[in-house]
Amino acid sequence: MGPYDSAVSTGSTTSSPSSAAKPSEIDGLLAGAGYKVRSTELHQVAQRLERLETVMVNAPSEISQLASDVLHCNPSDIASWVDSMLVEFNPPVSIPSDLSDFSDLTYIDSVVSPAINQTVCNNSWVEHHTPQQQQQELTHQLTVVTAMEEDSGIRLVHMMMTCAESVQRGDLPLAGSLIEEMQALLTRVNTGCGIGKVARYFIDALSRRVFTPQALCPTGWSNENEILYHHFYEACPYLKFAHFTANQAILEAFDGHDCVHVVDFNLMHGLQWPALIQALALRPGGPPLLRLTGIGPPSPDGRDSLREIGLRLAELARSVNVRFAFRGVAASRLEDVKPWMLQVSPKEAVAINSIMQLHRLLGSGPTRVSAIETVLGWIRSLNPKIVTVVEQEANHNQSEFLDRFTEALYYYSTMFDSLEACSLQPEKAVAEIYIQREICNVLCCEGSARVERHEPLAKWRNRLGAAGFRPLNLGSNAFKQASMLLTLFSAEGYCVEEHEGCLTLGWHSRPLIAASAWQPIQDPVINHNNLL
Amino acid sequence: MAGSDEVNHNESKSVVPLNTWILISNFKLAYNLLRRPDGTFERELAEFLERKAPANSFPVDGVFSFDIVDKTTGLLNRVYQPAPENEAQWGIIELEKPLSTTEIVPVILFFHGGSFTHSSANSAIYDYFCRRLVGNCKAVVVSVNYRRSPEHRYPCAYDDGWAALKWVKSRSWLQSGKDSKVHVYLAGDSSGGNITHHVAVRAAESGIEVLGNILLHPMFGGQERTESEKRLDGKYFVTIQDRDWYWRAFLPEGEDRDHPACNPFGPRGKSLEGLNFPKSLVVVAGFDLVQDWQLAYVEGLKKAGQDVNLLFLEQATIGFYFLPNNDHFYCLMEEIKNFVNPNC
Repeated sequence: MGPYDSAVSTGSTTSSPSSAAKPSEIDGLLAGAGYKVRSTELHQVAQRLERLETVMVNAPSEISQLASDVLHCNPSDIASWVDSMLVEFNPPVSIPSDLSDFSDLTYIDSVVSPAINQTVCNNSWVEHHTPQQQQQELTHQLTVVTAMEEDSGIRLVHMMMTCAESVQRGDLPLAGSLIEEMQALLTRVNTGCGIGKVARYFIDALSRRVFTPQALCPTGWSNENEILYHHFYEACPYLKFAHFTANQAILEAFDGHDCVHVVDFNLMHGLQWPALIQALALRPGGPPLLRLTGIGPPSPDGRDSLREIGLRLAELARSVNVRFAFRGVAASRLEDVKPWMLQVSPKEAVAINSIMQLHRLLGSGPTRVSAIETVLGWIRSLNPKIVTVVEQEANHNQSEFLDRFTEALYYYSTMFDSLEACSLQPEKAVAEIYIQREICNVLCCEGSARVERHEPLAKWRNRLGAAGFRPLNLGSNAFKQASMLLTLFSAEGYCVEEHEGCLTLGWHSRPLIAASAWQPIQDPVINHNNLL
Repeated sequence: MAGSDEVNHNESKSVVPLNTWILISNFKLAYNLLRRPDGTFERELAEFLERKAPANSFPVDGVFSFDIVDKTTGLLNRVYQPAPENEAQWGIIELEKPLSTTEIVPVILFFHGGSFTHSSANSAIYDYFCRRLVGNCKAVVVSVNYRRSPEHRYPCAYDDGWAALKWVKSRSWLQSGKDSKVHVYLAGDSSGGNITHHVAVRAAESGIEVLGNILLHPMFGGQERTESEKRLDGKYFVTIQDRDWYWRAFLPEGEDRDHPACNPFGPRGKSLEGLNFPKSLVVVAGFDLVQDWQLAYVEGLKKAGQDVNLLFLEQATIGFYFLPNNDHFYCLMEEIKNFVNPNC
């Protein structure tokens, strides 16, 4: 390769032909450009590209089909991306022998469905991140800095950071006096928008933490939360993105199944489900029997709010001729749910849908067995076809207060910035209250009271991988859906990005929410037993 | 010529390292999918396929970056800076104090390539390149996320470039030197090189100081089919056909390639004689089919009495600077470093 092998590049090491390259080593230079190709496979990948080009040159009229009809997945993996297009011209797919060194993975053939002209990609590529790469992904990610032209704005930020740092050191008197100073400064700043608005909320949170720590944080689920949630849903596209993306993945996973069962970890007003019901109604070959199990908090006033939502969804399903059954499971905390409550039948295809719920399981006091492991364990035991996971793309679970504060400041600044574009009232104002509740929980609560323990996608990937799940790629269809959703929002600034099979929605290149899909890895031992 | 049964890949494969060949071929084939024959573009699929890199306020390899929005235009700029020597300042973004009150720190305003249609400021390949520029030149780089065709045709990209220049010039935190001003250079590859030229003209006409232009195989053209276009068509990743598509997508409907945006010194161009135009560094790759237009551009500058330096890299293809695995890359970096060195 020449004298440049040791060129400095972020990412894993390059391998030169003279040294013994391990089969799993990725070409470091291509990695810097966002592509994953193993050094030992460069020639094969080049051959595939040549083959694809020859095919494209000989069949130019089919090129547009490749763009619109093929389900593109995980473009970082050039080899499989090229294969997904070659399949269109040369079925059937042959299993590449070069995956044999990953003995702990099972490779599933690309399935070409004749009814829907798409390929479903099941790429069992487990990411081998080097510690360097992990470090980069966990370090302070981009922050879109809205130009802070005002002196006061910049001073507020500096003071907030100093205050947070003194809170971390335990110097509450200093923190308290800083808070008073900042509150005075706030009166001279425009707190209706921009940095002033964000500062107002953060100073409020600091004030609560320092002056009234014993006050109860609004925690857990409550019916008031549903209203806040609904307004947040209307005011900005984050939840809609979560629903669209998850629904698209669930729809694809349910293809070919006649009995399907969706388990929603947080039903709220059931906003996600009308779209899925309608999509299933329009399925070629007819809709399946759909069961929906909605989990939510018990209603304080004796109403069965879960059942009410279920009835409304049932009516919608009836109007589009989808056989539908609903079951509500009332639980104050997700970890109180036991799998038998969900009454999953072995004949159904199951989808587990978790929109911003898994992070709530990460707080464990000394007496609690890891709630997240318990829940992931029983999810796995239900053998779902798909587990859709949407989480805030943020690192709000760090143990050091200052780190959490800094991260939250950047994250929620970006979110408030995106909200500026919304003109719907009262949706916007109420959405801000929703966000404020989150901020307070992140900053003011500790122990089991702190439920907003957001972690970034990279951490969830590791966690879910370790718990026995493999990623399913969200492909170009989901991406197109998400992009089209954004065209309905007039604000230019939202962006959807694809990262190794997952989709994120962000504001001006800062991802704020990440959607991914998973499936339990089949345990070969269990499979063997089943054959007996 | 396209249409033969077997495509000859041997020529391009023999002049670039294998991983570079894979990178550029992958782009080529993906871009083939995205350009529709009717002139429209598969934007969603393009965004899906595009590999992006996040900014990092915490330095990596001596460089940190952050994205900042120009509130008046809604344009995103990604700013790259050398890591502060004092580690205690890592992660803090300075938006008030100048870069230096004693030394001159060049600010390179960079326009990424992509034939006016592809890529963004946060594309992984351009993020990679801009980081390298920072380390190499000890400069600050500002990469502009200009609006792309066919959704936004001429003159949008130029307007965005102009807005970015004004924005950069007015940032107190980009100032340096004892004269407390922003020492700005314009730079760009492919369409970015074209934008560099047109923004520089506007700057010169408006009396705004630009210290130099760096054009990295800039995208120019014309109605005529030049010798290099005919000789190299389809041989090194690029075809005349795709160049035509991108011009049709960028130029106003009904215009031809002698439009001055495409052919600034052509029959409809204007002379830059007498204009206080910045000095130029024009880099031409010997395997780029557009080279005759680029060389004509250099001639045009010379004829107008302007200061221009040509770096002709005989054995280079387009995109040679994406990966630091060839001599041309390092040669380019050295030239750029000398070009923006305040002591020259």
